[in-house]
Amino acid sequence: MKLPTDLIKMYKEIHGWVGIISGLALFIAFFAGALTMFEDHIQRWASPPSALAAPPPLEKTPELVAKVLAAHPEAKEGYTVHLVTDSARPARVSWDVRPGEDDHAPPVTYYASLAPEGSLQVETKGPSPVAQFIDVLHQQVGLPFEHEVAMPIMGAIAMLYFVAIVSGLVVLLPSLVSDLFAMRLGKNVKRMWLDAHNLLGIFSLPFHIIMALTALVFAFHDQFYGAQGLAFGGAERERPAAVAQGEAPPMLTPVQMVERLRQQAPDFTPMVLDISERRDGSRNVRVGGLSERHAVRGPTMGYGAIDPVTGELTGKDYMPGHQDGWSAAVTSFFTLHFGAFGGEPIRWSYFLLGLAGAFIFYTGNLLWIESRRKRERKAGAVEQTRATRVLGALTVGVPTGTIAGIAITLAAAKPLGAGATEGLHSMIFYTVFLAFVAWAMVRGAARSGYELAFAAAIAMVAVPLSSLAFMSRHPVSIIGVDAIALLLCGGLFMAGRAAQKRAAATPRDSVWFSSRAVAEGYPA
Amino acid sequence: MKPQLTAKNWFGKVSAGLILGFLLALGASGLFRTLGGVDEAFFSTRGQFSMWMMAPVWALVVSLVFLFRTSLRAWGWLALANVVLWIPIFALGGVKL
Repeated sequence: MKLPTDLIKMYKEIHGWVGIISGLALFIAFFAGALTMFEDHIQRWASPPSALAAPPPLEKTPELVAKVLAAHPEAKEGYTVHLVTDSARPARVSWDVRPGEDDHAPPVTYYASLAPEGSLQVETKGPSPVAQFIDVLHQQVGLPFEHEVAMPIMGAIAMLYFVAIVSGLVVLLPSLVSDLFAMRLGKNVKRMWLDAHNLLGIFSLPFHIIMALTALVFAFHDQFYGAQGLAFGGAERERPAAVAQGEAPPMLTPVQMVERLRQQAPDFTPMVLDISERRDGSRNVRVGGLSERHAVRGPTMGYGAIDPVTGELTGKDYMPGHQDGWSAAVTSFFTLHFGAFGGEPIRWSYFLLGLAGAFIFYTGNLLWIESRRKRERKAGAVEQTRATRVLGALTVGVPTGTIAGIAITLAAAKPLGAGATEGLHSMIFYTVFLAFVAWAMVRGAARSGYELAFAAAIAMVAVPLSSLAFMSRHPVSIIGVDAIALLLCGGLFMAGRAAQKRAAATPRDSVWFSSRAVAEGYPA
Repeated sequence: MKPQLTAKNWFGKVSAGLILGFLLALGASGLFRTLGGVDEAFFSTRGQFSMWMMAPVWALVVSLVFLFRTSLRAWGWLALANVVLWIPIFALGGVKL
């Protein structure tokens, strides 16, 4: 395909700048996002055994609910019956209480069970918050700010990301056919990175377009709805007023609700029933669950509303396989972001696409720094400018710091046990992260490049080690988490070796040159 | 001779793309809502669809606004596109201020 040279040149420049501004934040978002594909597994891996008695069978739920509502009337506003229980969902019944009026304040979750002799047990220590922390890190591209502050910044980064996709595509188009399968390994390392960057970019293009556009919506949906409301009316976000029903007929039991659901939606597997009985007399039952054949709206579940008295499926807007075309279209946008379709193969594909995405942003940064070096050389500079040195150091420090920070804070979940909070996990992450970034700044990109890769590899080993060390308190489960940590450790170690060789072999004016690596016997 | 395409005048182009592109995206969703008879955005699935439409329109305008050779042309053409898009929405009574 032939495109005017000034157009290519312009988009090349744009691609470089939007990439370098957003690349490091996107690395954090993609690495953490890839891990959230296994959020549920990580949560089960990290959650300590519950102090509660084993959940009572579903048939005994009405007794448990009655005892909960007698002792904690506030739970009537909304409680959840868990149809499936495990270490991440330790109780049959749970409910949230917000400490203040603030809608965004983190709620306290209560978990309830019945002791063998039938007395009520209530506990606020729940499953580990570390998986949630990784998810928030992903959503806020690593920014440790309030949600309201982080979201517009994330949205701006999503916009830059989309511009980077379009501009990258324009730049690549003319040479697409000849360069696509070219993977020029060998002496010219920059050429090799460029080939890898292009190959991964073009093959995961649909994935990246989806991620950029959905992230833009997730960041700005309030503004979008707000602007629509201003221009076209109908912005009030009020639910239809509930009609008070005098003496309410009795609600179905969870067992009956599940039975009625099975009749109406045979391929839907219900996981939770969210039940609320408000003071105004309105009663709502929302069912969340999975469907093997249909995409779901939430990161993990699709939802339907059922009539509390008859068990009839009433709200089907978010019910997998029961939606109209518009609703199914909107659901597909969510589900394409979350990868919540197609089961395990898609989960693994998204995990790998996410890691590949992180790698694209990393190689993009490397390429930017290398081109800048060449330009500066041409302009007569003998040494790297400070800006290039700083960017080189950040390109090393931010990715390795993210990887190591997540590894350490994840490993800490086991010793912290039930005492863990999201704030504590956040503190551990940022301590490790900032230490890596500071080390990269002090030592320079070349030397810290391999040192920090080795350090991150060691941090990864902490995950299986903490599983082993705390086995007595915290029985080992979900060995896959430990196995992936070991694999990532191996990958980081190899990357470190490669960086060490490169540091000795590259031109002396490169930010990647290290005389130390030469002295340590890595021949040029 | 036509002036060369360049990224040097990015600020004028990008601001046109961000501001007028947002209005275009809003207009596209408004036209969809007006033609589709959507009164309420948040709880109707068509309304939600119309909100989702805004992201690709806005992002594409911001990405392609660089193809205008000058900032002035970017502002001019995008303003014109907005007029063309918003006239039918006004005419059909879709705008409720």
